[in-house]
Amino acid sequence: MVMRTRAAWLPWALPAIVLVTVFFLAPFLLNVRFAFSSWTSFRAEITWNGLENVRTLIDQDLLANAVTVTVLYAILCMAIQNTVSLSLALALQRTSGINTVFRSAFFLPTLISPLAAGYIWRGLLAPDGAVNSFLGIEWAWLGEPSTALVVVAFIDAWKWSGLITLVYIAGLNSIPKSLLESATVDGAGPWTRFRRVVFPMLAPALTFNVAVTLVGALSAYDVIAATTGGGPGDHTRALNVVMRQQWGQGFFGSASALGFTVTLLVIATAVPLVWWLRRREVTG
Amino acid sequence: MRAVLKYTALTLFSIPWVLVPIWLVVVNSFKPSGEAAELGLGLPRTWAIAENYGIVLDRGGYLTGLLNSLKVTVPIVVAVVLLGAAAAWAFGRSRSRWLQAAYFVMGLSILLPPSIIPTVYLLRALSLDGGSLGYVLTMTGCRLGIVIFLATGFVRAFPPDLENAAAIDGASRPQVFVRILLPLLRPVLFVGGVILIINVWNDFFFALFLLQGSANATLPLSLFQFASGTLQSLNWNLVFAHVLLTTLPLVAVYIVAQKRVLAGLTEGALKG
Repeated sequence: MVMRTRAAWLPWALPAIVLVTVFFLAPFLLNVRFAFSSWTSFRAEITWNGLENVRTLIDQDLLANAVTVTVLYAILCMAIQNTVSLSLALALQRTSGINTVFRSAFFLPTLISPLAAGYIWRGLLAPDGAVNSFLGIEWAWLGEPSTALVVVAFIDAWKWSGLITLVYIAGLNSIPKSLLESATVDGAGPWTRFRRVVFPMLAPALTFNVAVTLVGALSAYDVIAATTGGGPGDHTRALNVVMRQQWGQGFFGSASALGFTVTLLVIATAVPLVWWLRRREVTG
Repeated sequence: MRAVLKYTALTLFSIPWVLVPIWLVVVNSFKPSGEAAELGLGLPRTWAIAENYGIVLDRGGYLTGLLNSLKVTVPIVVAVVLLGAAAAWAFGRSRSRWLQAAYFVMGLSILLPPSIIPTVYLLRALSLDGGSLGYVLTMTGCRLGIVIFLATGFVRAFPPDLENAAAIDGASRPQVFVRILLPLLRPVLFVGGVILIINVWNDFFFALFLLQGSANATLPLSLFQFASGTLQSLNWNLVFAHVLLTTLPLVAVYIVAQKRVLAGLTEGALKG
């Protein structure tokens, strides 16, 4: 029938294709050029300058630190978020009245903007704030180099954990009951069942969540802007934070180079990760 | 016994995880500035509700922010959901190699981070910089991918029999789309739409680069400007009042939609 031909389908996809091409793909390709171009507020003309932006960023000791901070931040975020969410999902897997109440409650932080989440935890973790008075200590969680990055990553994880929990619950519920029952019949205890049946069968949800949290955290900005602004010193100065600073100072080329570094990091982490997790998914 | 233990643990965990953060915001937004600076969890000794919220509404640019947020969120969500569903129909049914290549590019747009600096450059070249139209178009272009990806999987899981039968009965393509496709895709579009509302409503990063001037500022931008306006020490009572007012509209949406969002997500509407 006519509905199968290309001409008939194209108009339906065209608006989306145009919007994605112009507002996602074109900037993406332009970035490859700008990252290696001289472009500042002092000289509007954009000219190719090779690795000059990268060299300047390295000379200013900005790049290596930003990459380290960003990667550490992403790993911390991913680890905290997935540990909390998977634990909550295992506890709240069954759909029942009380579980729905808890699911709903744990989803609430997801509604709060990352910026607002930053302000809230900055208040809770202030030296004279509620957390310290509960623990009976006085510690500048966001002001000390040893804890600032972990705490900022924790706030990001806190904000997204509710959503990730629901994806894990969906994954858990898609595991066939018969598989668990036959494992039980074969004498597998709860821990063996989790390790041998549940965990491997969770692969699709795990792939999705690990990839999404890593990729999202590599682009971190909001929580840092609301809490530390990159400090103390440069301990939470992630790539996007430096990018914003360079942009604000009128170094557009360098800012593009930093944005491009985020893209490279995403490709370098997410692609092998998805590939590896997918392969595990197939072999079980 | 084990259940009692489990729910005790969950309740204990939910206190610092959910209750205390929310309580901190609410109670401190009722206190005068000096008292809120202590960041305590106790009830206000002096109540300053009207003053705080009055200042946020007046000086904090809340009402402008609310209008601006609505002005961008509604068109973005409508455009992404409708254009995404239409494209997903084409990608799910067509066997054209060109469309399959385009589908691959849509997939890339989910994984790769948007390039914000060239976007500013591009919008300037198109004379769309600084205003809400450029922002709406950019956000639509960057968020379409995920909805298309999820909905295409959904379309492919259904045989085209129903659509073909309707076409034979003389229904036009738009009629088939509205009467068959949209209802079919409703679960995935609903969940996708709610996640999108949360995402766009809370967006700060794009807004920071793409929206210029307080006349265009959305709520997260106005919160940031308001909080950064006082250097060093934040006026916690006002910041928290702003946070509460910014989050409330989403909480309202969530209360209305939560049953279907939770059910949709946990039954795997987002599987893939």
